[in-house]
Amino acid sequence: MDTVNPEIARLFAAKEARRHKLAALPFPEKVRAVVCLQEMAAPVLRARGRKVRVWTLDERAA
Amino acid sequence: MKRALQVLNELECGGVIERYAIGGAMGATFYVEPLLTFDLDVFVVFPQSAGNLLSLSPLYEALRARGYVEEGECVLVEDIPVQFLPVYNALLEEALREARETLYEEVPTRVVRAEHLLAICLQTGRDKDRERVRIFREQAELDMGYLAGVLQRHGLEGKWKQWTP
Repeated sequence: MDTVNPEIARLFAAKEARRHKLAALPFPEKVRAVVCLQEMAAPVLRARGRKVRVWTLDERAA
Repeated sequence: MKRALQVLNELECGGVIERYAIGGAMGATFYVEPLLTFDLDVFVVFPQSAGNLLSLSPLYEALRARGYVEEGECVLVEDIPVQFLPVYNALLEEALREARETLYEEVPTRVVRAEHLLAICLQTGRDKDRERVRIFREQAELDMGYLAGVLQRHGLEGKWKQWTP
């Protein structure tokens, strides 16, 4: 049976820990993160012909 | 987002909708890591007097009167594309009834419970729902006793076993 290289296992564990940390953020911070994701994904999706709108958050600057 | 939620609250206070709760990817984001979405999915129950329970027309008219326009299957509310989904089965009715009250930047709102969101994924059954169930199991703090009740009441235990070997 294949075993995972300890360094790779450490990286996977760190990724999982980061996901849990993100999951624990307050909801408004998560919404701001979703808008960042939208900004990253929108150009790719638009290039594929999908019409998407990046949200404008008044509270983002706060 | 804050203003869009205030508009939803105003619609509820004004009796245009009886009750609403955030669902979909944004509802899931409340419990897990931020998930990419471009729509705010909102489940709604209409007042009994509205006659046709599944008609979105009175809601769309109320939004139009406030200057919000339809864009595809959504309505653009304060620059947020909101997709209104009328409850159409017992699971969604329960999800709305038992949705969690919370605050978003001091604005009161409601989010469907994680256990109900997971059950809705099982019932909907698309590839992305399967992925979301995996994320919920990995990251959300689920009340397993409560979830068992939801699955049992809505005949989803088999699907749960099938999806979580």
